[in-house]
Amino acid sequence: MLPLLLAVLASSDDVTLIQRLKRRDPQALAELYDLYGRMAYALILRMVRDKSIAEDLVQEAFLRVWNRVHSIDGEKGSVGPWLLAIARNRAIDYLRSSEGRDRNVAVELDETDHASLYHEMEAGILHSDQVRRVKAAMDKLEPNHRTVMELAYFEGLSQSEMSAKMGQPLGTIKTWVRAALQSLRDELGVVAPSS
Amino acid sequence: MNCDQLREHYELYALGIAEQPERGEIREHLSRGCTVCGAGVKRALEIAALLGASAPPAEPSRQLRRRILASVGSEQRRFGFVWASGAIAAALLVAALYFAVSSRRYENDAAQLRDQLRAQGNEILRLSNAFAILSGPSTIEASFGGQQPRPPSGKVFVNPSRGVLLIASNLPRTSPDKIYEMWMIPKSKGAKPVPAGLFQSQANGDALHVRPGAVDVSTTGAVAVTVENEAGATQPTTTPLIVAALTH
Repeated sequence: MLPLLLAVLASSDDVTLIQRLKRRDPQALAELYDLYGRMAYALILRMVRDKSIAEDLVQEAFLRVWNRVHSIDGEKGSVGPWLLAIARNRAIDYLRSSEGRDRNVAVELDETDHASLYHEMEAGILHSDQVRRVKAAMDKLEPNHRTVMELAYFEGLSQSEMSAKMGQPLGTIKTWVRAALQSLRDELGVVAPSS
Repeated sequence: MNCDQLREHYELYALGIAEQPERGEIREHLSRGCTVCGAGVKRALEIAALLGASAPPAEPSRQLRRRILASVGSEQRRFGFVWASGAIAAALLVAALYFAVSSRRYENDAAQLRDQLRAQGNEILRLSNAFAILSGPSTIEASFGGQQPRPPSGKVFVNPSRGVLLIASNLPRTSPDKIYEMWMIPKSKGAKPVPAGLFQSQANGDALHVRPGAVDVSTTGAVAVTVENEAGATQPTTTPLIVAALTH
């Protein structure tokens, strides 16, 4: 029942929430935190595995939303997915700097948290049943396929970095990544848009 | 490349691991408003967001919410207008009620007024805290920067049960990604400074910052202020530009 209520709240509130954030209403930020704070924290903690650092990064992510909210469409924007993208990118940036990894190796992270990409997404998606379906789909993946997905998503490793870390040829890694993504698509019933 | 050749790479792009030339091609398709790639990347970003939401549940500390709100709710205003603020708040309340019932086209205005009313309420609370500290019989005060021809200068008031009030002037302007952070500096060597809130100065360099709540003045040696990144810090990362030593 709670996820359903949260989904309804999130979907109806996203538009007014964004408009109030644009008007610099601190209460809107409090409501944004109540909707997505735990989720952002859980994601970052899974990535950095340190509670104190995770809280610092969550704070950075929320401040980034606060400071950049003018760039998201007030009528069509989906603030939850955008916030999670920012949170993930903050955590990957931290992991890269703390592990001395090459920050320019393959990933242009900032490309994926442009507010313009988060328009007209399904309302309340982060509080929907699809989260459970994705989790179930991940659990169903073959171990190597699941590992490459986790390394990509939760550690921000490029395919070359995964190859070095797992001691497998780059071609094998690419095959596993492709297969994992296809399995996820199949499980979620995603059909690639036709040209 | 055409959209058909790129569709296998939308998820890789969303995960941030697409390689060249596909990454550049997708970026180029998006920049020219390609609806096929736009829809594909949007769906891939939804899947990425769902992966993020599927992380094992975890509970942040209660302080995190307060920290985040403190870091954006500390806009400074001139103080000394408690009564005026109350009158303005009352007027705004009447106006907000009027607009709320009069017509749909006034809804946005009313929402804005309610926000202002809320902000005024917060400001009144902040000034009430400042007044309580200033008027407390056990409040001690310390000056800083008095000997310097150059900023910053001002006073710190510390009340054991009501909190700390900092009044400063001539604070240098910080860059947009920086913020001032106040610290309680323990007397004992080796003990770590305790964060006491984030604040910004006004355009003219004035600032009034209140950290409400009890303070153990017997163990506190000084109040300091540093410039930190916009998210604040758990320990000072720059040399303090204000240090007010407490003598009691």
